Amino acid sequence: MPPVPSTARQAAAQAASTARQAVAGWWGIVRLGAQLLELASTRSTWGRETWRTLAQHIVQDTAPMLTWFTVLTTLISVVVIRIVIVTALSYGLTQYALEMVVRVLVLELIPLTAALFAALRCTIPNAAEVLALRTQGHWAAAVEAGSDPWRTEVLPRMVSGLFSALMLAAVSCVVTLVVAYLSVYGPVVSGLEGYTRIVGHVFNPAVSLILGLKIAFLGVAVALVPMASVLSAAPARRRSTSPELSGLVRMFVVILLIEVASLVGNYY
Amino acid sequence: MKDLTAAAPAPAPPDPLQFKAALLLALFVLLIAGTALYLMYARGAFEATQRLVLVADDSEGVSVGMDMTFAGFPIGRVRRVELADDGSARIVIDVPRKDARWLRTSSMFTLVRSLVGGATLRAYTGVPSDPPLLDGAERKVLIGDTAAELPRLVASARELLQNLAQLSAPDAALATSLANLQALSEKAKGPRGALGMLGSDADAKQISAALARTNALLARLDGMAAKADTQVLGPDGLVREGRSAVVQLGGLLADARASLKRVDALLAEAQAVAGNARAATNDLGALRGEVDATVRKVEQLVDEVNRKWPFARDTELKLR
Repeated sequence: MPPVPSTARQAAAQAASTARQAVAGWWGIVRLGAQLLELASTRSTWGRETWRTLAQHIVQDTAPMLTWFTVLTTLISVVVIRIVIVTALSYGLTQYALEMVVRVLVLELIPLTAALFAALRCTIPNAAEVLALRTQGHWAAAVEAGSDPWRTEVLPRMVSGLFSALMLAAVSCVVTLVVAYLSVYGPVVSGLEGYTRIVGHVFNPAVSLILGLKIAFLGVAVALVPMASVLSAAPARRRSTSPELSGLVRMFVVILLIEVASLVGNYY
Repeated sequence: MKDLTAAAPAPAPPDPLQFKAALLLALFVLLIAGTALYLMYARGAFEATQRLVLVADDSEGVSVGMDMTFAGFPIGRVRRVELADDGSARIVIDVPRKDARWLRTSSMFTLVRSLVGGATLRAYTGVPSDPPLLDGAERKVLIGDTAAELPRLVASARELLQNLAQLSAPDAALATSLANLQALSEKAKGPRGALGMLGSDADAKQISAALARTNALLARLDGMAAKADTQVLGPDGLVREGRSAVVQLGGLLADARASLKRVDALLAEAQAVAGNARAATNDLGALRGEVDATVRKVEQLVDEVNRKWPFARDTELKLR
């Protein structure tokens, strides 16, 4: 057996080290996520101060973007619905157009868009703030002052991110349902019965459950993964790779997995 | 990124912030609850339904949640599809009470599978005055399957194509007939024209002679027709005489009608005479009775005279 070149050995060792780091990173995220969930489910966590901070973050994170996210969702919905309906008309499949619109938009696209939007506008900036607190010494100062930054800084931001994702998903689903009705029937109430029937046909119990779970898991993913990424990264490794970037990548991977699981549940 | 100084432990937020947060939470709860209620309503959770079971040999294409339509309107929804003990498929349908009035005991149900799109369940009611369908009723469903018709159609098409292939084969009867027809048309293009198709030269000559005689015969027939025309339609023709005969006949009929009227009058008089004669006959009967009575009296008188007559030669009284 010929001797293994030293460069190949080094490459293998480097790959093994990278894999170990990746596994350790994922494990850190899981561990921190579990800790944060445990913290959130503890009754003593939710003191008056935590509630105040949470209220502040909820208003700061969700309220500013709610209006123009609704406008954006309406525009996207109108364009996609128009495309689907015109295509269905040209193929003579109008009876399936509305069902397809509801399936494509409400079940698949809109929850994903809402989760990504909440991540980009809320949870990733929140994670960056927490990272800045740690790097600029505010975290240590708070600990020395007897405060618990996990309760006062991390948990309100995480719950606020989760709420933001859920709120955007709920608003966008309702807006899309209304826009779909108005696009097909116009501003009349005579089509409401048929539309309700189609919606009822699409949202059978299994599909509704999968949609609810999907929105919830997407919300948890976008709220938890960026925060856990910046908190679990060791200071030595932070220099080589940006924890925000690695958190973003991990969040996209988790979103992809949730999306795949949802598709498998819906269509298999 | 937000201002980092704001991210540091902050003072307690003012009350309006909490109010806004409460508003957002309330909006969220409202959206979730409203959506859940709407979906439950759309699924028929608040609607009273009755059950209808359709029995089919094959439930392929039927899915849970699909609609059953009546006149194009959905009036029921498949709740579940199950296999019965006898191997048939039972399609359980929930029909809202308000729509159940369209279904009668005589309603027919069909399951149609088309080539494009899913299967459709349809209900037809021919006699709306029949009794309404009861809750839990079981009905057979008639199945129309386009996909199942395709193999039959393909088999028929294949048979047709085979027949066509046999017809168009080089040694087929059709090809032979066409060849003969072509030979005939070649003959028709020859110097003797279409007569050449009919046989030999002798035959052609005979046909020509026959045609000439036929022409002569037709000329004679033409003359005869002219004469007949003169005799029938001429000045002294049959038609004119017939018309005068008809006029005379009309006069005769008028005379006969007058004679008949006179005969009627005679008959009326005869009837009257007969009536008089009947009355006279009745009087004659009475007269005869009187004459009979008189003769009887005269006879009794003669008998009396004879009895009393002393010069009678025979006085012995005899019994008659």
